[in-house]
Amino acid sequence: MIESSQAEANEVCVVDDDPSVLKSIHYLLASEGFKVRPFNKAADFLAHAGTHHVPIVVTDIWMDEVTGLELLARLCAISPRTKVIVITAREDLAARATAMAIGPVAFFMKPFDDEKFIAAVRDALSRA
Amino acid sequence: MSGDDHSEQLNLLQTITLEVAAATDLSSALEIVLRRVCEKTGWVIGQAWVPNKEEAVLNFVSGWYCDDGELKPFKAVSEKSHFEPGIGLPGRVWKSKQPAWLENVTNDPNFPRATAARTAGLKTGVGIPILARSKVIAVLEFFMRESRSQNEQLVKVIAAVAAQLGLVMERKGATEELSRINEILHSILSDMGDAVIVADKDENFLVFNPAAERMFGAGATKRNASEWLHRYGLYLPDKVTPFPHEQLPLIRSIHGEEVNNVEVFVRHEKAPHGIWTRITGRPLRDSNGELLGGVIVCRDITEVKEEEVFRAGQSRVLEMIAADAPLADVLTSLVILMEGQAEGLRCSILLLNRDGKHVRHGAAPNLPEAYVKAVDGSPIGPRNGSCGTAMYTRKPVVVTNVMTDPLWTDYRELAQICGLRACWSTPIVSWQGDVLGSFAMYRQETRGPQPEETRLTEIATHIAGIAIDRQRQQEVLRERDARINLAAESADLAFWVLYPEQGTAWMSDKGRRIYGFDSNLPLTCDLILSRVHPDERVAVKAEYDRACALHDAFESEHRLLLPYGKTRWVIMRGRCLQDEHGNLLETIGVTLDVSPQKQAALQVQVQREEMAHRNRVALMGEMTASFAHEINQPLTAISNKASAARRFLDRGNIDPVLLRELLQEIAADSQRAGEVMRGIRSLVRKETSEQTLLNLNAIISDTVRLVSSDVLNRESVVTTELDPNVPAVQGTLVQIQQVLLNLIINALDAMETLPPAERRVIVTTRSDKGDVAEFTVRDFGSGLPKDRPDKVFDHFFSTKQKGMGMGLAIVRSIIEAHGGTISGENAPDRGARMVVRLPAARGEIQKSKAAA
Repeated sequence: MIESSQAEANEVCVVDDDPSVLKSIHYLLASEGFKVRPFNKAADFLAHAGTHHVPIVVTDIWMDEVTGLELLARLCAISPRTKVIVITAREDLAARATAMAIGPVAFFMKPFDDEKFIAAVRDALSRA
Repeated sequence: MSGDDHSEQLNLLQTITLEVAAATDLSSALEIVLRRVCEKTGWVIGQAWVPNKEEAVLNFVSGWYCDDGELKPFKAVSEKSHFEPGIGLPGRVWKSKQPAWLENVTNDPNFPRATAARTAGLKTGVGIPILARSKVIAVLEFFMRESRSQNEQLVKVIAAVAAQLGLVMERKGATEELSRINEILHSILSDMGDAVIVADKDENFLVFNPAAERMFGAGATKRNASEWLHRYGLYLPDKVTPFPHEQLPLIRSIHGEEVNNVEVFVRHEKAPHGIWTRITGRPLRDSNGELLGGVIVCRDITEVKEEEVFRAGQSRVLEMIAADAPLADVLTSLVILMEGQAEGLRCSILLLNRDGKHVRHGAAPNLPEAYVKAVDGSPIGPRNGSCGTAMYTRKPVVVTNVMTDPLWTDYRELAQICGLRACWSTPIVSWQGDVLGSFAMYRQETRGPQPEETRLTEIATHIAGIAIDRQRQQEVLRERDARINLAAESADLAFWVLYPEQGTAWMSDKGRRIYGFDSNLPLTCDLILSRVHPDERVAVKAEYDRACALHDAFESEHRLLLPYGKTRWVIMRGRCLQDEHGNLLETIGVTLDVSPQKQAALQVQVQREEMAHRNRVALMGEMTASFAHEINQPLTAISNKASAARRFLDRGNIDPVLLRELLQEIAADSQRAGEVMRGIRSLVRKETSEQTLLNLNAIISDTVRLVSSDVLNRESVVTTELDPNVPAVQGTLVQIQQVLLNLIINALDAMETLPPAERRVIVTTRSDKGDVAEFTVRDFGSGLPKDRPDKVFDHFFSTKQKGMGMGLAIVRSIIEAHGGTISGENAPDRGARMVVRLPAARGEIQKSKAAA
């Protein structure tokens, strides 16, 4: 049962196991007026996605417990229409290729250009 | 002068002329002249002088004296006198060829006999030359007691007499000479071996000497010249075509041509085998150049010609031998050549079998086949025909009659059927003295060999010996070659011989294949060297030259560059052979094709390098990736938070609390980034999850192996001194390897500027009291910073041009994560020593202590 609300329609979910990075993305999106729902653990986000409409998620793909790729794979099953923006600190070509195959709308290497990042988020939301 | 005088003088002249003409020689003619002149013209002394043979002095020859004893002393003085040209009265006449008149000889300064003349009471003297062919042949002198001035008339008369005498003598001499020459010529023409024929321009023979008669079988003829060809049997050198008449040397000479060395073959009844003659002809002309006829001289060159043909035949056979024609062909040609040298001669050559006991057919082209077959394979022995016996006894065997000779008992019947009567056989002996076979001459009449046949036999056995010897030697060579080749083939070896002096070379078939030479290409040392890869040619040549100079052995491993760009790895080993005087004779050796082994070794090398490379890349990649992730996290946080703060500020609704929080967090993130940079502890901690029990010695051995190709490339050496009792440690294999790699590569880098011989790295392990495992990496480079060796572990510290300064920082992080320590110190003499101490694994301590 999916709870859908006006609030959720513009909400941006962010997943990163690094608290400081997670917080920094939260601040960045908030500074542009986005509503942000941060998740420190992939499992928490997946749980949320299972019960809520998630128009967009920004996620790292290099995390300790559930990797970003795993997250993407599961998300595909739960919420196939969720737009995904991948951020990663590692230049891991294999991971990047896999991520691209699953189909994120954008891919950013940490640290990234804030303007482009915000533009990508805005664009993804408008198409969600 | 009176008319009487004149007639008197003419009378005198006539008398003298007649008497002189009758005289047999000059001295008697002179005597007559002296006497007549004195009697008729009133001189008391007349003397004659003639030049000696050398024409150096005049000698007294005769004198006339009026009957007066007072003149005797003067005569005696004159007889002993000799006058050189210009000296005394005779000398000056001789020299001037003119008469001389002296009014008073006793006071003449040039008259050596003045004293004697005074004693004899002589006053006037006159000298007259006698000239023949404008040469003075005698001087006449006359003296009288009265002093009288020159009487031209008298001088003229005496001169005329002298001239007459000269003419007579001249003619006389000429006639005598001519007849003498005629005699000589006649005798020469009769006795000479060469035929001489002279004919006049109408082709009539004037001279046809005995030799010509013998040569041409008939004497001179009055017949027409067109019949000469038939009469004298004149042919062209082909022996059958009659010689063209107009081309005959005599005809050409008569027509004014000089003819040189024309060869004519002559055959007539008296010379059925023919005579070879070589003719030279010349035209004969009179003193005006008018053609009188022609003369030819014909030399018999039959022997020369036959010898020439025979020699040419021998040369042909020798050429066949040199060209390695089949032995049977060579021997057959030789036999035919010999048979051509004498009428009715048949020859054969038999070979002695390798067993030394039986004969084999060699060549006998004109002996009956049945006879040849019967002889082939028969044994040799003391009574085995001429040939079998000659080979057995090693001496010539002359059988003049096979019908009666006991040696021929077994072959008599056969010989009779074949019409053979005499057989002389001579053994053919090699230059070492081995009997190779025999050469035999057969005749249908019973007789022994003539000298010419003995000479032929000598030549035949000599040539046959060369032919058989050569064939034997080549068989031996071929066999040796075959054996060597067989050995070489099976060993994959090239055999070769180089002759440095001549620059030539020999190589086995296998060798030619290894070096890519055609099987019949003549080889030279240079050609073989040209196959060596250009990069290595100079070195190989130097090694070879060194060995040649020292007469030493040499070995070289190098590449060959074959046509079409194929390369081979070979090992070339050889040694120099010298003669008893120590002169270099040849270099012999082998070349081993090691391409397959080399390829395998190279492949291993490449694989090892690749593996090492991959390992290092993987290790470094992993490290870098982890490191990048760790450092990028705080950087991302800082970047995002700063951007957010700016954006809030831009929108003007910034909450100061939020702003402070952001700035504090940015500072904290920066601290965290610094933390990563300082130690990347978190990384290490994260990746030490797969900790195992590690044997340091094994890791060191593996790692040294891993870097071996690098070490070789850097022309350095890494050695290990491993303590077998070093305890095991708990840790992550990859990380410990990473540490070792870092330390070893650093050590190698530190020695790059040293000479290769000094580039050494020593890796040692040591057990410290059993609870610490220690390993040390020691180099011989410039060492650590003297003031603070520790500085090398700082981030971004680097002594290397391209270094990042992260290597040792990471190393220390890893070691510390393993609970160990790393320190750097300078070795006592020189270079740096990095000492890593790791705690022994727990179970190991007891084990090690128990062992201790």
